[in-house]
Amino acid sequence: MKILIAGDGEVGFYLAKLLEKEFHDIILIDTQKGKLALVEKNLGIATVLGDSTSYKVLKDAGVENADLLIAVTSVESVNITTCLIGKKLGAKFTIARINNLEYLVDKNTLDLHDLGIDELISPESLAAREVKYLLKSPNLTEIFNIYNKDLYMMGMRLEDDASIINKTVAESAHLLSNNSFMIVAVLRNGKTMIPTGELQLFKDDLLYFLSTDHGKDKVLEYAGKKTVQIKNILVIGGSRTGKYIALRQSKYYNIKLIEKDFEKCNYLAKLIPNVQIIYGDGSDLNLLKEERITNYDAVISVTGNSETNIFTCLMAKELGVNKTIAMVENIGLFDYSQKMGIDTLINKKMAAANFIFRHILKGRVLTHLYGVDAEIQEFIVKKNSTIIHKPIKEMNFPENAIISGLIRDGKGYITLGNFQLMADDKVFVFSLPHSSKKVISFFK
Amino acid sequence: MNLLQLNKIDTFKMIFRQIGGLQIILGFTMVVPLLVSLIYSEFYSALGFVLSGLICLISGFLLNKGFRSSFEPLNRHALIIAAFGWLIITTMGAIPYFLIANITPVEIAQQFGTNGANYISSLYYFKNPLHALFDSMSGFTTTGLTMAVHEPSIGKGLLFYRHFTQLLGGAGFIVLTLSLISQSSSRATFLLYNAESTGERLKSTVIETVRIIWKVYLGLTFFLFVFLVVGTRILLPEYSLADNIFDSINHAMAGMSTGGFSTLDDSIAGYHSQSMEILYLVPMIIGALSLPFYVKVIYNKQYSQIWKDMQTRSIIILFVLGSIILSFMLLLSGLVSEPFRIGVFQFVSALSTTGWQTCDVHLWDSASISFIVIFGMVIGGAFGATVGGVKIIRVLVLLKGLFWRINNYFSSDNSIKVVKFNNTRLLPEEMNKEISSAATLVFIYLIFLGLGTIIGYYTAGQGFTMKDALFESASAQGTVGLSCGITNPDMSRGLEITYFIQMWMGRLEIIPILILFRTIFLGTKPKVV
Repeated sequence: MKILIAGDGEVGFYLAKLLEKEFHDIILIDTQKGKLALVEKNLGIATVLGDSTSYKVLKDAGVENADLLIAVTSVESVNITTCLIGKKLGAKFTIARINNLEYLVDKNTLDLHDLGIDELISPESLAAREVKYLLKSPNLTEIFNIYNKDLYMMGMRLEDDASIINKTVAESAHLLSNNSFMIVAVLRNGKTMIPTGELQLFKDDLLYFLSTDHGKDKVLEYAGKKTVQIKNILVIGGSRTGKYIALRQSKYYNIKLIEKDFEKCNYLAKLIPNVQIIYGDGSDLNLLKEERITNYDAVISVTGNSETNIFTCLMAKELGVNKTIAMVENIGLFDYSQKMGIDTLINKKMAAANFIFRHILKGRVLTHLYGVDAEIQEFIVKKNSTIIHKPIKEMNFPENAIISGLIRDGKGYITLGNFQLMADDKVFVFSLPHSSKKVISFFK
Repeated sequence: MNLLQLNKIDTFKMIFRQIGGLQIILGFTMVVPLLVSLIYSEFYSALGFVLSGLICLISGFLLNKGFRSSFEPLNRHALIIAAFGWLIITTMGAIPYFLIANITPVEIAQQFGTNGANYISSLYYFKNPLHALFDSMSGFTTTGLTMAVHEPSIGKGLLFYRHFTQLLGGAGFIVLTLSLISQSSSRATFLLYNAESTGERLKSTVIETVRIIWKVYLGLTFFLFVFLVVGTRILLPEYSLADNIFDSINHAMAGMSTGGFSTLDDSIAGYHSQSMEILYLVPMIIGALSLPFYVKVIYNKQYSQIWKDMQTRSIIILFVLGSIILSFMLLLSGLVSEPFRIGVFQFVSALSTTGWQTCDVHLWDSASISFIVIFGMVIGGAFGATVGGVKIIRVLVLLKGLFWRINNYFSSDNSIKVVKFNNTRLLPEEMNKEISSAATLVFIYLIFLGLGTIIGYYTAGQGFTMKDALFESASAQGTVGLSCGITNPDMSRGLEITYFIQMWMGRLEIIPILILFRTIFLGTKPKVV
């Protein structure tokens, strides 16, 4: 599979890095020589220097036999133009990163799909959507949906008061028996484990669940969390992500947004109804106190600077804010920030990359969780497979991998030990990287 | 020529040339009343219109040619042209009154109007040029105060002409001229349009905007005409069809422009019918709403605007509340026989600044007068309509600004204190600008209203009190046209001129007039301090 990525920004670089593991024929196009040199040195990816809207540059990159063209420069119109030209020159599938959400929403005026752009993504909008889910269930460190509105992935940290602490998974199995959720991974001290019946759960473990829609509340119950209602939100940073959060959530929450650029403040104030816009530096403790940060149920820090976001969230935690969400673009900081006590991280690049992985590379879903060294894969059960009509626990499934859920007739199910697979089921498998080869051969 | 060093003479040359253009258009419009005079076989009136038309055309042509070499108007001249242009148009528009009054023989004039009239034809009042000017100004500014005591007795031709001037003045005579002769779309044009018309740019160019405004305006007038013909036919079947059509044309023009002239001796009360008074509420209400609002509803099919548009909504609410309150106040005073019939009609007439009258306001108590003056005539209808007054939008800006000030006290120093106004969100800076311009206008408006009242108090003569002076002054300045009797051909000359100036100021929202005075007395040099 040949993949062209136009734009070596944060998203482009991250995508290249991820895709490089799976596919070998990846070419990165950018106008900055220095950046490309860095990529070649670090990732060993082929690069083409030049403007991606140029016929020649695209042809040089070999667009005519590319299977996928991803345009993720910071300029929307460049992305669109690149995809339009790329499609004409022979790219099979094109993805453009956009900022103007009208393109996503209003398909009557101009349907970009008709013109040759197969998928549109807006990382900021995806990040804002993640925040939306997190605000709905503030106890979670992570949540996103795997399949329609049926299957969700949820992450949660175990705290003192949970009844399942110090018990094994098998011991708490009676709580699991309603087929609406299951544990798929445990993160402890930076190490990822795929649970077996004998695995004992400790305080501060980060548990990952796969759950159906109505299982979401039961997951909370299982982990001994009370449902918390969030009413007041403080958003720090009026970047695009902050803007989308404020725009979309102002109906449901009281929102205050702090931004340090005056012009941007004015722009946002004019644009967003029912949101109080504050002009000031969000990392200034005095300002936060003046704006009564302690009155807020959640603080979401989405400035362009990861360190500021982490720092602000730590301060907020210190001052007693229940829920803090930090946008951390620097992936190297994930581990530390989680250790320091920031419960929830969001990352535009990963949001965008996951979106592309999940929706484009059909047949093999790959989802990367923040700080977790495991992946979800998707398989279709073949008709004459030997694994059909057998309870899952009787299969000889590889170690460090777990069948966690499936889609049958367009509906999502959680697959516990007694579940029997059928032909054409679409199965989700959670596995550590070194087991993934075994898993693949298991389904062959 | 260096445009930055224009002296007063050059400026006036340029202004005269522009005004020449206005006169030419005015000359051509005289054709319409001429035709009406011919239809009714009023040959002396017809002659009057022919002569007036020629005077306008020739003088306009001479001005335009004579100052051909002058430069194009700059932005800062727009308001001067507007103010001076209105004065000239009014003067030229007074010629038909004066001429017809002077050339029509007595025996023919006495045949005008209702049969068996036992009074001298009111046409003769116009032999006095000041009276002619007064009615012309009252017509073009859509006020409706008149020197013609018995309207029907001036002849159908002139009667039609009066209403026709209201139609022309309503949506702005200068912009009409611009839309007909000018192809340029400079900022000066836009400022001119701003000065006398709606101020909202609906199309990409001013000319297109003006054309669409006039289309909607004339369309609505036609609709009102049909509405009134049919309505009158149903409500007063015995009323003759010829009279019905003549009345309806004129009343449609006077209603749409919120002018308030009438073809009947006693205004709408002349029908002696309560249902006719209810029928005539419709033209007044339609006239009070802003023209851009109609464009949005009719052309862009934004029906939700009817309730979403802040002005329209507020006006409808104010119509209802004000009518009820005034009715109860009249009921309380016990001085009026049918308080609800009169209260509703008079309040709608005052707020829409139309000026159709169904009762003798002179009899009212001070409280009712104060109420109708403050909440009706001073507020006026919607900005962008043909109304007078300070316009409801200014009141809304000030009210909103007041609450904004109060609420700001409670929000933190760092927050951007946005205010939502008419579906847009204004930043503090923008809101302050709105507030200051609204406050300036309201302030100066009230100052001149007060001056007019005081002059009226001293010169109105026997039997008129402070409340009458206030009422008449507010009526003139708000281009309303309701009268408590002060305005009549025997009033003092000083007061007549005062009301004349007030109507002129009220129509153009005062500032352009002050700019004109500044130009005349101090020239066009910027003041350096």
